[in-house]
Amino acid sequence: MSKFNSFLEEKVMPVAAKIGGQRHLLALRDGLIATMPFIVIGSIFLIIANFPIPGYADWMTSIFGPSWAVKLSYPVDATFNIMSIIAAFAVAYRLAESYKLDAMSAGTISIAAFLLTTPFSFTFTPADAEGVLVTGAISKAFLSSKGLFVALLFAILSTEIYRWVVKKDIVIKMPAGVPPSVGKSFASLIPGLFVLVTVWVIRLLVEMTPYESINDLVTIVLGDPLKMVGLTLGGTIVAELFVTVLWSTGLHGTNIVKSVMEPIWFGAMGDNMTAYQAGEPLPHIVTQQFWDNFIHIGGTGVTFGLVLSMVLFAKSKQMKNLGRLALGPGIFNINEPLIFGMPIVLNPIMILPFVLTSIVTVIVTFIGMDMGLVAKPVGIAVPWTMPPIISGYLASGGHISGAVMNVVNILISFLIYTPFFKIYDRAKKREEDAMNTGGKEHIA
Amino acid sequence: MNILLCCAAGMSTSLLVTKMEKAAEEQGVEGKIWAVPANQINLHVDDADVLLLGPQVRFLLPKMKTLGEEKNIPVEAINPVHYGMCDGAEVLKTAINLVNKK
Repeated sequence: MSKFNSFLEEKVMPVAAKIGGQRHLLALRDGLIATMPFIVIGSIFLIIANFPIPGYADWMTSIFGPSWAVKLSYPVDATFNIMSIIAAFAVAYRLAESYKLDAMSAGTISIAAFLLTTPFSFTFTPADAEGVLVTGAISKAFLSSKGLFVALLFAILSTEIYRWVVKKDIVIKMPAGVPPSVGKSFASLIPGLFVLVTVWVIRLLVEMTPYESINDLVTIVLGDPLKMVGLTLGGTIVAELFVTVLWSTGLHGTNIVKSVMEPIWFGAMGDNMTAYQAGEPLPHIVTQQFWDNFIHIGGTGVTFGLVLSMVLFAKSKQMKNLGRLALGPGIFNINEPLIFGMPIVLNPIMILPFVLTSIVTVIVTFIGMDMGLVAKPVGIAVPWTMPPIISGYLASGGHISGAVMNVVNILISFLIYTPFFKIYDRAKKREEDAMNTGGKEHIA
Repeated sequence: MNILLCCAAGMSTSLLVTKMEKAAEEQGVEGKIWAVPANQINLHVDDADVLLLGPQVRFLLPKMKTLGEEKNIPVEAINPVHYGMCDGAEVLKTAINLVNKK
């Protein structure tokens, strides 16, 4: 067992630390987090527009007139459907900040760079008619989740060019008398020019290829293959394995894996939302909400069932206390008290059910959704701290099957954890008894 | 004494903060104790006398230590067991020791 622990400590930890602390990945994750408040606000309107009660739509029409749903979608468009612009700014901002560069300039340049990749025209095909090229307008698809990969890629590219120019010291220096902020705005001219010229040339080159836009190229060459791998059952199991093994060493596995996978999960969430709004079948099972609201119930490792088991069965004083302490946070999917207090970290008897429960729930949930027994997450962003059952109901767009899936996963978790917990609890109890009788039969 | 705690989202650590505040009140330790997500640390670090990291983000320790050196404050990861059991008194003791050692 100590071999296993030293493997985790020596082999897994340093790699995880590298990924978790990697500058670009951190910037991606922190930048994407900046889009989250807007997505949640947009989701509220999305829920109101699609309330799953029979007769609701007719009732709304009778009060607000036939265009109520369209009006409710205004805020959705200005939040969900511009998430790529926000990400373009925020990722560049965070990356520049980590280089100690002027984050505001880097962020604004990144927005321009992103829009420079984007065609300001699109082909509109009316029903029963030839397609018409509409110019002077950006298709909102490019600014929504469909543009996310481009936004992220060019945020990093533009900030790296920015850094290179600043490092080469190709900046306009202002005379001493000029107010500093004037100087700063001029100083960003040169890096901005370098960035935009580079992106412009890239766009011209891409337009010479069969790909119509940078967005098409990135989607076909990078986005689709990544989604294909990352959103399958296999990819999902591998991701969850990493999450749980990292947590087993005490590192924030969710955060570390997210920094790699989040662009994919966010993109999938946006794709589903677009389809949901249009009333089309949902393309993905695995989205951000698949994790937040279906798998990590009670926290990573689906520990909600473990908490129940502790509250019901704990015999040792330590586990009784911890169970009470962990119940409150657990309802809101926070389980650090268990991870570090029990602990699950570096504790082989608890790591086993921790990993096993996660994988089993991933498989059951995925298959349930794939077979159509359970509603897929519709793209409504439900915060990860939303208590289970409510969260599954909301994330699935108000389907009872979403809530039922939560209950099933809690049951799975309870069944897998309980025998392991009982063994661990007995050992703890013996330890406590031994201490009380003067340590005669001390068991370490 | 101002004690800044940091974890991934600032959530689980905020639970510890309430326990530490209670312990501080009992011991008559004055000052502010608060928790923030790792990505907002720059906004808060100037107000802090000591920075403690949740064990789950201890991979950020080297980065945060550099930051601590710049700001001349001690930086350390919280003992996982103290963290898990939400032992406010112990973590407060760690913070006080770190500041006194400086």
